[in-house]
Amino acid sequence: MSKSNAGLNRPKRWDFAFSDEMSDQLVDRIMQMAPFRDMDPEGFPRSAQLPDILKNDARLRVFEPGEIVVRQGDYGNSAFMVLTGSAEVVLSPGLPPRLEGRSEPKRKRWLHLLGQFIGNSREDEVVRTSSARPAGVAPSAQGTARGVILQDVPRVLSGQRTATIRERDFFGEIAALSRLPRTATILAGVQGAEMLELRWQGLRDLMRNAPQLRRFIDGIYRERALSTFLDALPFIKYLSPEAKQELMDATQFETYGEYDWSGDYKQLIKKGASAAQEPTIAVEGDYPNSVVIVRAGFGRLTQRYGNSHRTLNYLGSGKMYGFDEIAHNWREPNHHVPLQYTLRVIGYTHVVVIPAAVVERLVLPVLPKSSLPPLIPQDRRTRPRFEPAAGDAAGPRIPQDVMEFVTQGRFFNGTKTMVIDLDRCTRCDDCVRACADTHDNNPRFLRYGPIHDNLMIAEACMHCADPVCMIGCPTGAIHRDTFAGSVVVNADTCIGCSACANNCPYKAIRMVEARDADGEILVASDSNPIHKATKCDLCVDQFGGPACERACPHDALTRINLNTTHELARWLQR
Amino acid sequence: MRVRRLLNRLSYPVCFLMAGAAALWEFPRARTAYPRLDYLTGWLLMAAVLFLTAYNGRKKIAFLPLASSRAWLRVHAWLGMLTGLVFFLHTRWRAPSSPFELALAALFVAVTLSGLVGWGLSRILPGRLTTAGGEVPYERIPVIRRALRERAQELVLEVVPTAGTTTLADFYAARLSPFFSGPKGFASHLFGSARTLKGLLTDIDQVKMHLGDHEKSAAIELAALVREKDALDLHRSVQLVLKGWLFVHIPLTYGLLAFVAVHVVLVYSFAGGAR
Repeated sequence: MSKSNAGLNRPKRWDFAFSDEMSDQLVDRIMQMAPFRDMDPEGFPRSAQLPDILKNDARLRVFEPGEIVVRQGDYGNSAFMVLTGSAEVVLSPGLPPRLEGRSEPKRKRWLHLLGQFIGNSREDEVVRTSSARPAGVAPSAQGTARGVILQDVPRVLSGQRTATIRERDFFGEIAALSRLPRTATILAGVQGAEMLELRWQGLRDLMRNAPQLRRFIDGIYRERALSTFLDALPFIKYLSPEAKQELMDATQFETYGEYDWSGDYKQLIKKGASAAQEPTIAVEGDYPNSVVIVRAGFGRLTQRYGNSHRTLNYLGSGKMYGFDEIAHNWREPNHHVPLQYTLRVIGYTHVVVIPAAVVERLVLPVLPKSSLPPLIPQDRRTRPRFEPAAGDAAGPRIPQDVMEFVTQGRFFNGTKTMVIDLDRCTRCDDCVRACADTHDNNPRFLRYGPIHDNLMIAEACMHCADPVCMIGCPTGAIHRDTFAGSVVVNADTCIGCSACANNCPYKAIRMVEARDADGEILVASDSNPIHKATKCDLCVDQFGGPACERACPHDALTRINLNTTHELARWLQR
Repeated sequence: MRVRRLLNRLSYPVCFLMAGAAALWEFPRARTAYPRLDYLTGWLLMAAVLFLTAYNGRKKIAFLPLASSRAWLRVHAWLGMLTGLVFFLHTRWRAPSSPFELALAALFVAVTLSGLVGWGLSRILPGRLTTAGGEVPYERIPVIRRALRERAQELVLEVVPTAGTTTLADFYAARLSPFFSGPKGFASHLFGSARTLKGLLTDIDQVKMHLGDHEKSAAIELAALVREKDALDLHRSVQLVLKGWLFVHIPLTYGLLAFVAVHVVLVYSFAGGAR
């Protein structure tokens, strides 16, 4: 089946603009506003001029007073700039989910589900035209579709700590740029608001080509991300507002590794990388002079072992390093201990650093005794280096070899990693068949992948905490589902550039030749076949969760969060 | 956590034992109280068999949220065993008295036994595949086998001009060519015997004594290919059995259902006044 269907136009980046209502007049109007009017048009490449970015990657949104713009916890791929009016940020304790109008993603109807039994295509990768507007493409800005509008806003916000965002201010950039969930719910102010919403690809291009905007966004990103992030730390609640502000002023951001670390990782693997080759953030045996908290990405906790370094744990977002040693030294001034472990960079690691002096002066004196970490025992400081780690800092125990396997392969990035117990798997492929049945006869994973002992990490999308696949996508076709945060591909806006598949370090995305209903390969006007990216979507439109997991008769396959070792440890001990 | 895990594991066997014990305990009294108890146990048996068969249907409609396949299998296994007990209560522990009854009983026993054997195999054999390594999808085995054979032939042919002798080539033609030509050692792999592999490796070691340097290095590579091929054969044998037992269990089940249908018709046709 290779008969061409010549004449089709190959999909391009801006085939689907963010909104089809961005007229030239509207773009001209926005171009007259700060900060766009101050940008140097010559700084933009010919392929992505400033007006083109505004026309295709931005849209105008008009919000009623009290209308929710973004909700805390949702995944977002865009940032907002207030053009007129204002917005209220709900800082804490946060609105109840009912008020925020949360709803689950649309699932197939029962009739449609049953229809799959006979309606699945007999041909591979048939592109079915969807009447629905592609995900990530906005409905009419002034259209009838309205979000959730809160009534009696002053009363709703009366028990909330809020902050106001005014004209020309940006928000939503943390979620858009960090691939993290929205950190707060934001609603339009009492006068309503007119906002410019920028897809992250557009924001990325603006920041790349307009240095003043990059500096501005970096500044607010730093300020807001830090405040929100510190609020989640366990000891912050004991600090007075003044102490918290002082702590924030003394805190530093540090970034290690490459934001797009996939390429480097593939090179490292080819060279047979070991932990010792990874850059260090803090080294075992050094004096503990700061608390390091992982903000994004992951760090590897290692300990010297023989001539090498043994992995004890990997630390994800919110995990602290060095606090135990600093607390010990503060309580036992005559028996100081050095850092017990080394913290290494795995790929891209963004950390928050609080100096030890600040912790000793502001945090430790106000902490209740019960909240202080236990003293580090004497024998631990003097024990031989080859003694196996006690698993204390390593959290729940998983075998050392499994820890090395998970860390070396960077599988800890997965929030829904497909792990197969080969001692139970009868190789019946019921999982693959179930996947095919739910995806128009096209399985979205391979029961194949790296193996350690009886554990296989299958080549299925892991729905990463840090999805590097999304970095290079020019159209935003690969994006996070706003409700569950799953990483999904929108086939309508995928231009088949392979950026995501090349970026994925786990070989979980495959480029396939798109076909029509007769099974003929779709060919573009340049006579080359049209490709689409395909991957596991966690059966987002089906009931009951991933079909692969439900289809395994022997409890051999699971989808687990490897961001921490808890779920894996529990599953291994089942 | 451990207690919960233990309770979870024990829940099915405990339910099975309790239901079995209750059935055995109550059956004599129930038989006295209800003269038509055979009809009840018969219909119960048929309902159970239909439910057990429905598991195959559940696998075909994986996209419907009909509980996990794992839960279905556990119920399938334990209910299957309970059905065995109901079967014997239904027949009142009597031997079949006609060819039809014999066929029906034989089918039932065959279905139950094939199920039990399959259950056991699916617990024992996967570990053997894991130990062997070289994970491979069953459908890819012929392709990989061909590639191994071609690589072995190339290796032997490449070394002939440089070595100036055909010792290794002759050995390959006589001893290794049949091994690489197709799947070997089905039964020995199934029973975990490594005799074929050891025999071949010993023979390679023997012939190595008579080889020059070039041929020796080729022989070492050949030994590695032999190990790979042996692991591939193991995967083929074990995966074939793991998949194949269902081709016995499922057709027998449908055969049993057909016989059960005839049995029901016959019972109601010839029951006469007993109804």
